[in-house]
Amino acid sequence: MDVNQPKQEHLLALKVMRLTKPTLFTNIPVTCEERDLPGDLFSTLMKDDPSTVKGAETLMLGEMLTLPQNFGNIFLGETFSSYISVHNDSNQVVKDIQVKADLQTSSQRLNLSASTAVVSELKPDSCIDDVIHHEVKEIGTHILVCAVSYTTQTGEKMYFRKFFKFQVLKPLDVKTKFYNAETDEVFLEAQIQNITTSPMFMEKVSLEPSIMYNVSELNTVITNGDGCSTFGTKTYLQPLDTRQYLYCLKPKPEFAEKAGVIKGVTVIGKLDIVWKTNLGERGRLQTSQLQRMAPGYGDVRLSIETIPDTVRLEEPFDITCKITNCSSERTMDLVLEMCNTNAIHWCGVSGRQLGKLHPSSSLHLTLALLSSVQGLQSVSGLRLTDTFLKRTYEYDDIAQVCVVSSKLQAES
Amino acid sequence: MEKLETSNEDEAGTSREEVGPNDIKLIQEEILFNEETIDLDADAFGSEENVTLSEDSGNLLDKLNDQMMESVIISDSPNISEDDAGELGCLQDIVDEIESHEVLPLEQEINKECKESGNSTEHAGTHDSASSGQQHVEIKVVVSPSEPSPEAENTLQSPSSEHEHELVTPDSKQPQSDDVIPVCTIFSKGNSQPSFLGSDGFESQLIKSPSFTGEIKSTTKLQTQVVQPSPSLSNFFSDNGNTQSPAADFFDSFTTSSNFISVSNPNAAPAVPEIAHGSLTPESGTPTDPASIQFFVGNQSLNSSGSLTAEVSQSPKPFSQIHSVFAGSDDPFATALNMSEMDRRNDAWLPSQDTRNILISVATQKYSAVFIDKEKLTMPGLKFDNIQGDAVRDLMLRFLGEQAAMRRQVLTALSVEQTFVGLKKLIESKNWRAAVDLCGRLLTAHGQGYGKSGQPTNHTTDSLQLWFVRLSLLVKLGLFQNAEMEFEPFKNLDQPDLYYEYYPHVYPGRRGSMVPFSMRILHAELRQYLGNPQESLDRLHNMKAVCLQILDNLEKGLAEDGSLITISPSNRQASVQLWRSRLGRVMYSMANCLLMMKDYVLAVDAYQTVIRYYPEQEPQLLSGIGRIFLQIGDIKTAEKYFQDAETVIQKSPTSNEPQNQMIVLMNRAFLHLGQNNFAEAHKFFSEVLKLDPANAVANNNAAVCLLYLGKLKDSLRHLEGLVQQDPKHYLHESVLFNLTTMYELESSRSMQKKQALLEAVAVKEGDSFNTQCLKLL
Repeated sequence: MDVNQPKQEHLLALKVMRLTKPTLFTNIPVTCEERDLPGDLFSTLMKDDPSTVKGAETLMLGEMLTLPQNFGNIFLGETFSSYISVHNDSNQVVKDIQVKADLQTSSQRLNLSASTAVVSELKPDSCIDDVIHHEVKEIGTHILVCAVSYTTQTGEKMYFRKFFKFQVLKPLDVKTKFYNAETDEVFLEAQIQNITTSPMFMEKVSLEPSIMYNVSELNTVITNGDGCSTFGTKTYLQPLDTRQYLYCLKPKPEFAEKAGVIKGVTVIGKLDIVWKTNLGERGRLQTSQLQRMAPGYGDVRLSIETIPDTVRLEEPFDITCKITNCSSERTMDLVLEMCNTNAIHWCGVSGRQLGKLHPSSSLHLTLALLSSVQGLQSVSGLRLTDTFLKRTYEYDDIAQVCVVSSKLQAES
Repeated sequence: MEKLETSNEDEAGTSREEVGPNDIKLIQEEILFNEETIDLDADAFGSEENVTLSEDSGNLLDKLNDQMMESVIISDSPNISEDDAGELGCLQDIVDEIESHEVLPLEQEINKECKESGNSTEHAGTHDSASSGQQHVEIKVVVSPSEPSPEAENTLQSPSSEHEHELVTPDSKQPQSDDVIPVCTIFSKGNSQPSFLGSDGFESQLIKSPSFTGEIKSTTKLQTQVVQPSPSLSNFFSDNGNTQSPAADFFDSFTTSSNFISVSNPNAAPAVPEIAHGSLTPESGTPTDPASIQFFVGNQSLNSSGSLTAEVSQSPKPFSQIHSVFAGSDDPFATALNMSEMDRRNDAWLPSQDTRNILISVATQKYSAVFIDKEKLTMPGLKFDNIQGDAVRDLMLRFLGEQAAMRRQVLTALSVEQTFVGLKKLIESKNWRAAVDLCGRLLTAHGQGYGKSGQPTNHTTDSLQLWFVRLSLLVKLGLFQNAEMEFEPFKNLDQPDLYYEYYPHVYPGRRGSMVPFSMRILHAELRQYLGNPQESLDRLHNMKAVCLQILDNLEKGLAEDGSLITISPSNRQASVQLWRSRLGRVMYSMANCLLMMKDYVLAVDAYQTVIRYYPEQEPQLLSGIGRIFLQIGDIKTAEKYFQDAETVIQKSPTSNEPQNQMIVLMNRAFLHLGQNNFAEAHKFFSEVLKLDPANAVANNNAAVCLLYLGKLKDSLRHLEGLVQQDPKHYLHESVLFNLTTMYELESSRSMQKKQALLEAVAVKEGDSFNTQCLKLL
């Protein structure tokens, strides 16, 4: 065929094939019973068919490997593998052959050839083979540039290039959501959606916390010592399926104590995702650092350290509060006032001086309360006034207690 | 009790941060590269790209254009065309200008999309559009709704036209014949054509002889094992080789089976030859066919099915003569009751309530068949006349010239006997298209030919068997649409006229479904190949329910259909076994269907259920489940199942059989494949070959591994050698596909090499060969 080509002839031919994993051949089982017209004919045909599983011919999924049938899709984080073959189509020996494969992305050019050493000669009908691998790290257009240079018998130096273009697509969609707990814990919910067209086995989805946090994964249910995934037995994600992963982050004590609170935008960590598809084709991605806006607490933060769940009607009980000066450099002089509400009554002196509170320090305070109404009651009515700035901070609905009658309590 | 700080929480909670594609970085990137170059930060990427696309990539395009020009010159060689976009397995060559232009806007779109999704909180689920199209199902429809081909007419036309009348009547009315009858009608038709017979006269005679056997069977109460339920079928099929003359064949089948010898020989033997020569049945003495048929009809059912046939010229005398001569039973009802055990067991089926009611009315003759709504009848007909054709030959004509094509010799429907023997020969030699055609001819002879769909007809065991074969082969050929079209008149295979009870005079006392169980399976499975697996599952679940009900009936001491018939323990045992294996077959289909739907969890469950029904297949099935997990990418679970398979094999007494050892080695090879270790995988495939050098799968897979190891030439040599040495096993589409793919990769002369393969195929393969794997077009 190439003999007919009018244009310049090269002695060497370059062929490139992407090596995705091979696939397993599936056959279409058609069976009949002995008693049917074809008798044992169909089963003989199926037994003779090399693509069936011997002894279980009705099984659709065979064992025969077939080479990839098309370029397919390539996704960020996967490995691009390709076979490069330079074949001597001519009938003369070709000398000093050099094959170079580069990958041009939108931002850079990478050399992928295992070796760029010059092959001294190539006999007719033999070939130079190379299998290149590259972990794809960019989205968008990639161009594989293959360059071949060689010398003919007449000493003529020849050179040609070929270009192969492909698109790298995004395999996953990741969404995150933070939940801040009063205790400085942060819960991270990560939704990971498979936006490829094939099922994806999630080998690893983990959160690598930043230096300030310890992380615990909440994606297994432990019963009788055995961890069992919250996703059940289904270990893979079908196309467009989404999974939710949950992580709990606790500030390391040194950071929590030192700063008093973690404020403003903080770096939480990043998600590390490893997946596999057909016959172990592997992909891996990391998100960029996930950041969260820590909830603002104002200048003074009042948090509850201890509080009983259930209290008896008209009997006093204690709660412990922690008051933190969140400002960066201002020392505060605080006065505590307690305003009684309908149900909850403060026992003690209102207008108490708490003394000076230095920046990023905190003090603990035990307060007595008494409820005159049954049911779930809200603790409200605390006021802190900074005498320097004459600023008052109000704390309502800071906690709830369940109030039961004394009799009931006694019985239980 | 601590309270979540809701005020702040809301803000943090509602702002859903989308980690766009651009935020996703690779792990090593920080180590290996500068952040700027790689980290495609959402904004940066979006804006940059959009700007640069016009500029930067404009440059790029310019560059490309240069390069394109350059490469155009270079790659004029045929490679380019081969490297083209459409080419399988090969990278798209950028040389394709149009292609690159197309890509550009698309690219922009993608970028835009990325940006959008980066900004918006909602996720845009449209990304997959770009990546779709990985699996393409190619359904080729070959429909040639032409009129019956003239040749077909030559041989079959004349009888068939008559049959239409004749067959309708006799089938519904013949008194004592068993299921065998239909075989014979068709058979005789087929036979009589090529032989000297005129179109008349053939059917009636043949009808008779089998009917005797049926009676005899029942009267003599032979053991089930001995009784061959439909001797005509099995015998014709199994003794393919012996005879050329259909008539002789026919007799052989009877004489060879011991049951029949004693009974039928004296009478039937003389009778049949005469028939074969076109003479009349001895007893009837009436010369014309219709008469001969009708005399069967007459004696019994004057009231009931008489309505179907216009004229019932009954001569009760001949019938009774026959009866007394052959059956030796004076009570026809007694014989009827003694339906063959095997028939009952195999044909059992539970009709729907509607159908059951109609069947009961037929049995009690409350009203005649005429009143049955046409809607409720099955009126099949060929939907396409001729799918004959030989793709291999067409390719030869195109690539190798007329002379080469002339040398191609395959059997056609016309070049074999127009009988089941011929049919078997065609199937065996893998000339399935011709076999489909022959089924069509035989069905045409039965009055269900082209264009007959929608016209009332009668069914016999054999017409349904022919349909089953035809439809099976269509499915095997991948002509699913065609199969679907021809299946359509059968609806859900539960029409009253598909039950023996509907023909009390043709099949007296016989009960159950004429539709072979395998045809139901085929019917259920067909939908999944047409992209509707859910419907396949529905049908399979219905079948499962019936199987379970039948098993339940058997357990309760009833007959399969729930009637109160005493069944001997051994027969009950046999029946339970049969229905359990059928239930297993249904489960198998379900598992396959679920696998096709990619519902892997359910598929694995279903395969595990299948193991319960086919315990002997446990190692294979466990390995199969392992491969499913490999396909998903779950290597660990795959390993677990491979391990289970090994354990099962070790426990079995035959653990050292090469067969079992090969399963173990093969699984290990696959596991290494899943771990990206092609060298190890190759080693294990080679181990298999030490045990069984002819193992096609291991040979092929070893060759594939070699390619991934960069040893194209070795791989090619390996495969080529196999194909040359053992074409019977290696001219398989999967092997050839691999081979041609490697040819394309190897050199610019792949075309010649593929054509050489075509020649090899032409010598060995029948007309059912799938030429696509040669990638010549």
